[in-house]
Amino acid sequence: MTERRSAAILKAHRRRQALKTALVHGALILACAVCVYPLLRILAVSLRPGDRIISTDLSLIPQGATWVSYARVFAETNFLFWLWNSLVITVATSLVGVALASTAAYAFSRFKFPGQKLGLSFLLGTQMLPAGMLILPLFLMIMRLKLMNTYLGMVIAYSVSSLPFSIWILKGYFDTIPRSLEEAALVDGTSIFGAFYRIVLPLSTPALAIAFLFNFTQAWNEYLVARVILTDSFKYTWTLGLFDLQGQYLTQWGMFAAASLLVTIPVMAVFLYSSKWLLTGMTLGGVKG
Amino acid sequence: MLAPVLQVAQFALLIAGAVALLEGWLHYHFTRHEKSWFVPVGVLGTMALVLAGAAAAAGGSVEPSRILSLGTGTAIAEVLVALFFRHVVRGRHSLPIMLLAPAALGLGLLIAYPLVFEVYLAFHDLKLTTIMAWSRTGDLPFVGLKHFRKVFTSSPLSEVSFWQLLLRTVWWTFVNVFFHVAGGFVMALLLNSVTRFKGLYRMLLIVPWAMPQVVAVLAMRGEFHSQYGFINIMLVESGLGPVQWLGQHPFLTCTIINVWLGIPFMAVVILGGLQSISRHYYDAASIDGASAFQQFRMITLPLIKPVLAPAVTLGTVWTFNNINVIYLVTGQAGGTEDADILVSALYKAAFAFYRYSYSAAFALIVFLLLFTFSMVWLKWSKGSESLYD
Amino acid sequence: MASVTFASITKRFGNNEVLHDVSLQIADKEFLVLVGPSGCGKSTLLRMLAGLEETSEGEIRIGERLVNHLPPRDREIAMVFQDYALYPHMTVAENMGFGLRLKGFAGDEVDSRVLKAASILQIEPLLQRTPRQLSGGQRQRVAIGRAIVREPKVFLFDEPLSNLDAKLREEMRIEIAKLHQKLATTIIYVTHDQVEAMTLATRIAVVNAGRIQQVGTPTEVFGRPENMFVAGFIGSPTMNFIEGELRREDGGLRFRTEGVDIPVLGGTGGEAEGPTVLGVRPEAIAVERGGAGGDGVVAAEVEVVELLGYRKNVHLKVAGVKALASVSAAFGGEPGEKAGLRFDPAGVHLFEKATGRRIR
Repeated sequence: MTERRSAAILKAHRRRQALKTALVHGALILACAVCVYPLLRILAVSLRPGDRIISTDLSLIPQGATWVSYARVFAETNFLFWLWNSLVITVATSLVGVALASTAAYAFSRFKFPGQKLGLSFLLGTQMLPAGMLILPLFLMIMRLKLMNTYLGMVIAYSVSSLPFSIWILKGYFDTIPRSLEEAALVDGTSIFGAFYRIVLPLSTPALAIAFLFNFTQAWNEYLVARVILTDSFKYTWTLGLFDLQGQYLTQWGMFAAASLLVTIPVMAVFLYSSKWLLTGMTLGGVKG
Repeated sequence: MLAPVLQVAQFALLIAGAVALLEGWLHYHFTRHEKSWFVPVGVLGTMALVLAGAAAAAGGSVEPSRILSLGTGTAIAEVLVALFFRHVVRGRHSLPIMLLAPAALGLGLLIAYPLVFEVYLAFHDLKLTTIMAWSRTGDLPFVGLKHFRKVFTSSPLSEVSFWQLLLRTVWWTFVNVFFHVAGGFVMALLLNSVTRFKGLYRMLLIVPWAMPQVVAVLAMRGEFHSQYGFINIMLVESGLGPVQWLGQHPFLTCTIINVWLGIPFMAVVILGGLQSISRHYYDAASIDGASAFQQFRMITLPLIKPVLAPAVTLGTVWTFNNINVIYLVTGQAGGTEDADILVSALYKAAFAFYRYSYSAAFALIVFLLLFTFSMVWLKWSKGSESLYD
Repeated sequence: MASVTFASITKRFGNNEVLHDVSLQIADKEFLVLVGPSGCGKSTLLRMLAGLEETSEGEIRIGERLVNHLPPRDREIAMVFQDYALYPHMTVAENMGFGLRLKGFAGDEVDSRVLKAASILQIEPLLQRTPRQLSGGQRQRVAIGRAIVREPKVFLFDEPLSNLDAKLREEMRIEIAKLHQKLATTIIYVTHDQVEAMTLATRIAVVNAGRIQQVGTPTEVFGRPENMFVAGFIGSPTMNFIEGELRREDGGLRFRTEGVDIPVLGGTGGEAEGPTVLGVRPEAIAVERGGAGGDGVVAAEVEVVELLGYRKNVHLKVAGVKALASVSAAFGGEPGEKAGLRFDPAGVHLFEKATGRRIR
């Protein structure tokens, strides 16, 4: 019977399709596992009780799971200082970075002036500098200014590192705001600055937020510059503290894991939430450390 | 608990005040340069600012001779600046210049000046034994090209040579970028072919990218531990025996970790590109009889190139410049040199071996290499065009 | 309330001169429409008056005051933009009151003036909305309202209706006409749509290629176009042009070309004989079925007939060129037929072929 034959063909076809879908999902699940597993392991280690921190146990929720490592992070290390230091340095850096970037981006977006193309190329060119090349002279400058182990020294060292990206992303956003809005404001009675402060900046809140977030994550996660400028454990940012915790003894793994998780969760939440915008800005500006 | 808060408040005020003063100073110069009182007020104001700043920095008391020299110096500088504003900065370009000034000043002081300083360092001799004298007097002996020669003749660290580092850097960059792009493509194509759970998969897949790099690298490093790392546990379980990853194969370990770190970014970029390709091209191609592979080669690849080219350019530069992974994996005391690439050796030479001038010369050579490569690459791929758009 | 004077205005963008020595006088309370094809420089002229573009040469005055050097805020003007340019982060009321608040008006005064303008435009219910929540026509009203509350000396409209659909455009056109009557202020209005120009203006300035081609009342511009550009630009459907020779015979003027030999009204003489273009509006052509016969009748062939309801457009071939006649729907001609055309002498315009200028 042809009807039965065609039904069989269709059934086979459907089965093949289902198999294909299952394979794709299987591959994706495997990939996700590879991506997430180290994070889950940190969670597992952080929950291990003191006598079983070092073990070949692979279970995600270890036997006798406990929060003791978290308590020890706060009690036995300067973790709160580190967090606080990171927060202060990062917020100050981001504010300075966004303030400098917004006016510069506006100039690039709205005016024609000699050297404009060159300026944009220079911004892009700073991304080509070998990492570490600027750390040495910055370190020496900060040492001579007697700013070692200070917030100010860190902010100075960080403040322009994300500037090129911030300028690119803000310029991209300003470009999308119709000029007629500023013209209307001019006719309504503002100065050119007034048009910028009253119209363009309030309208750019999303882009300003993204630039701020980018500055924030860059400075928050930075390690190499901090290593050189901060030598006092009370002045450490959390990246330095964490590295030292992990480096010393295996017995501190539990604390290392707990501290890692504490700093990772909020940063990741913000990052996942903003990744879409960050990405557009990034391919636009071409920065990520 | 109160002390740090006060300290921070003070610090915040200092930062805000400095930025406000700078902006105010600039604003004055840009907006008032046509007025007759522009020069005298500018000179007096700037002198007052500088002297107040000097007094604050010195803790309240400044010697009269310092006041005199500082005051005259400032006054002369300010007159020059004022004349510059009056006669050069005017007309329709004054506004953009003013808007750019703060950022340009920052970039100049913290990028351009350090670069110049780096060149100065490379031709002089600053090392652990001369740094104390230098920080007192500011004088350094001139040594010409000595450090540049030494880069090629002696090891930047203790054993590995410049040429080994160069080769390893090229290999490191190539392998990493290759796997980033290949892995990114696989991930993106897989993601693009499903409809259910797509958002969830995407979110989980970018976890390595979203984690703070320090945490991600250190966590992965733990998994390579010879006894307690996941990988060796599995190897032992399956009877293959433990591998001394960190001790004997540090470069391989770093490469694996960096591939793991870098795939998500490429995957997301490529996915974005894939989603921007209209369904209609594939419909037309499949009616024309193109196989899946032919569709990938004839439609996907060419249409994704504008997205891929800049991402690959950036990925290459980032990988070339990646100190983080190698330093965090091998950088602790007594670490191996077998995984070092140019930039990580550069960092270690300066801050683990304290060879400042040497590493400055080293940095300039690396910079020239990267710069030449970038120029050639950008010319060849026209990647710069799509970076601008 | 004020007059506006453009005196010998030239505008260059780099080396590209877009306005050449333009002079124009606009009287107080006049509704002047600047009309022309896109890129002709009409918007640039308006933006220079607003202070949004620098003037390369020449003087601009509002009333007696020279304004070249003044920023827009000191010119006492208000402007309605093509894309409305409503501030997206402010409500309608805030949008309308923005200019007044900048000038330092008290809150009550701002509110009462915003309310008054809103009631004129019937947008009171919209005052607390944001521009995003408004339709195109409503945004248009708000943009106009924002201009009204300022009580400026001169209103500037830059293609305000071009983003609206046909029906709304007609509605708003009438609104603007009413507004001009109510406010009795000088209005300068830029458009590329000659229908808007004809219906709204007290005077029209036709602009092309950086020069003013003609200034006059709608009747003048339509009835006595100064040159072929104006003749072709104003009026819809557009004027037909036939090239030929002008000859003086027996004390009268005749227009001749292949298959055409008709008398035309001449002035008192002095018109140059020679190559001439005859322009005739579609409404001034009477079409008779059958061939040519009699003096002044032009032979033509019917190509296509379009029924528009109460009228018909007859596409013809005359002296080797295409022509269009607009006739009553009762016309029974079929494609392919021979026809005879009579031109209404009052609807015939003659232009010098070399310069395109009107022959008087």
